[in-house]
Amino acid sequence: MRLRIVAADFAAELRILSRSKGVLFWTLLFPVMLILIFGAIFSGIGEMEYELFVQDLDQSEASAQFLDSLESTGLITITKVNITSDVDTYIKEENIKRLLIIPEDFSEVIYLAQVINDYNHSVNLTFHYDQSEQSNQAVSSIISSILRQMNMQVTDGKTVISMTGVETISGEFSFIDFFLPGMIGFTIMQTCIYGSIERNTKYRKDGILRKMLTTPITRTEWIVSKMLYQMFLSFISAVLIIAIGIIVYQLNIVIDVYFFILVISTSFLFTGMGMVVGRFVKDEESAGMAGGVITFPMMFLAGTFFALDEMPLVLQYVARVLPLYYVNEGFRNSMIYLQYDDALFHTGITVIMGILFFIAGIVLTKWKEE
Amino acid sequence: MFIRKFRCPKCHRYTRLSGNPGERRVIACPFCNTRGVIVFPGTPSYSQDIPAIEVQHLRKEYAKIVAVNDISFTVKKGEIFAFLGPNGAGKTTTVEIIESIRQPTSGQIKILGKNIKTQFNQVKHRIGVLPQEFRSFERLTVKETLQYFSKMFDKTMNIDSLLTMMDLKGVQDILYQNLSGGLKQRTGVAISLVNDPDIVFLDEPSTGLDPKARREVWQVIAKLRKQGKTVFLTTHYMEEAEFLADHVAIIHKGNIIAEGSPESLIQRYGKGSTLHIKRCKDPVALDILKEEGFEAKSEGNGDIVITIDSKERVLEVLSELRHSCVEYDGVDIRRSNLEEVFLQLTGARLSEEES
Repeated sequence: MRLRIVAADFAAELRILSRSKGVLFWTLLFPVMLILIFGAIFSGIGEMEYELFVQDLDQSEASAQFLDSLESTGLITITKVNITSDVDTYIKEENIKRLLIIPEDFSEVIYLAQVINDYNHSVNLTFHYDQSEQSNQAVSSIISSILRQMNMQVTDGKTVISMTGVETISGEFSFIDFFLPGMIGFTIMQTCIYGSIERNTKYRKDGILRKMLTTPITRTEWIVSKMLYQMFLSFISAVLIIAIGIIVYQLNIVIDVYFFILVISTSFLFTGMGMVVGRFVKDEESAGMAGGVITFPMMFLAGTFFALDEMPLVLQYVARVLPLYYVNEGFRNSMIYLQYDDALFHTGITVIMGILFFIAGIVLTKWKEE
Repeated sequence: MFIRKFRCPKCHRYTRLSGNPGERRVIACPFCNTRGVIVFPGTPSYSQDIPAIEVQHLRKEYAKIVAVNDISFTVKKGEIFAFLGPNGAGKTTTVEIIESIRQPTSGQIKILGKNIKTQFNQVKHRIGVLPQEFRSFERLTVKETLQYFSKMFDKTMNIDSLLTMMDLKGVQDILYQNLSGGLKQRTGVAISLVNDPDIVFLDEPSTGLDPKARREVWQVIAKLRKQGKTVFLTTHYMEEAEFLADHVAIIHKGNIIAEGSPESLIQRYGKGSTLHIKRCKDPVALDILKEEGFEAKSEGNGDIVITIDSKERVLEVLSELRHSCVEYDGVDIRRSNLEEVFLQLTGARLSEEES
């Protein structure tokens, strides 16, 4: 194999990509948009009113006034929590996104500061929040802002009332934790299958494959270069999606050897699948439809958007024969859930399927005409 | 072409020389006139004796349809060989088998003496191909496209020289998708030349182009002949074959029905040239011409058609008409062409076969 030829073909594909707005959109921007849209729908971004659970241990007029101030912003709805409840248990059992604890010396500190001008005492409110919920940043800002106003009124600028944030360990993963790894698998699938089918049919129709047959480039060099290009696209998409997860949703994502094995084997798997289908698709018009026939069922049934246990039993069995299911579970278990036994199993299945489909793709891809 | 340094065995000074692969040349040192031998690397280009392309008993069947039926022909070095025939005649099937894109059912093909069944890899770098209805990468510029294809080969033409030669310098930075049809085809021909091939295959290079763009492509192909390249051209435009080809093979329903230079075919199968007298005013003019031994017939509206076999015959007709004081609106000499040859051989016009 001559690397000069592979490099030239790879470089040409990148140049073409940089000029193809459509491919850039569907490969890079569209998955990001999907994550932001789905994340907003299922993670609280865009909520007009935030529900805030409050455990008021002080039960005073001052604490009531403080809560009134919060509600008067029109952005927060208060739900009281019994003062006898254990907050940690309550948050876990009720799957609470945010909870504020007002300590019992709240009114006393205000009284000392406001009436006696004794600023030596302070009180600290505790804000428990689910870190994966983007909306909690907004709620935290609203509470802090009200506290600042109170400090100004009570002490003329000195801070006697403050707030500490505590990340909730609810034991449950948020939707975005579930969705983001699925989105990586889904995007690689889309990119590789459509890329492979459409390239094959277009290049065949335009005579480029026939032209290539008459040049010294070999079929292996051609396939290796296209595979490298697909893998490059897969890595770019995956890194972009992960970056969005970390920056926007503060997800704790672990990138280890599983991630690289999964991206590579998934690229081989779906490119191979695309090559198999591309062998039988004769024109560009049917290429999109053929891609859709494969990707649509997997998109909805392989646990990309919805957890498998939310689906009817029959569909759960169907999911287990879909390659994307193993890809998604591999990514989830290795990157988010850190269940390495499961990660190994799903990654193993993905690697095996990747090898099989890619070999089938190579065998079935024909340059020569009948 | 290869460039090698020759070191004089006597004065030890170097001289740069260019030569063909495998060429062995006796030279004299320009400094001391000592004679020496230089051998250029690579296998020699095909010799004058070996044909560029040899096709023997080629047959191609698709299920029960015979697309190419036991055809044989030879393409000589340096000639433009036109494979002329209507759509579906078997032109593209034949050329794609020669280019090793398709497998023949039977028959033998040699390019530059190499059997393509077993030695096609050895001739790949010596042929250039423009496939039928070829469209290159839409989002690469003309120059990037040529650079891309040149990377496939070890020996390549200088891209700037190629752009200049193909008159593409002015559009070298334009994306392929934004080129006109004519420029796309010129780029396609340029792609087929990146490896400076000995043989260029052009499969219907002017199909779908307007007459002006078609003429431009013809000029480009004519340039290739001047460079000594062998051109295998498939076309269904008889005027293209007539304009460009040194040798024409007419293919019809998978069979070669005639072969030779355009002139020889026209001479052999054409009806000869005709002189058309337009709107002759004298009703007895036809009789006068017949009496004088001319092969004349009326075509209505006073038009008379006379078969002629030489320039002198034209002058004789006009002289006779003048002598007899016959008035007419004008004259027109029509040459026999390949369309007429095709009509003569198949009973149908090439254009009718197309439709």
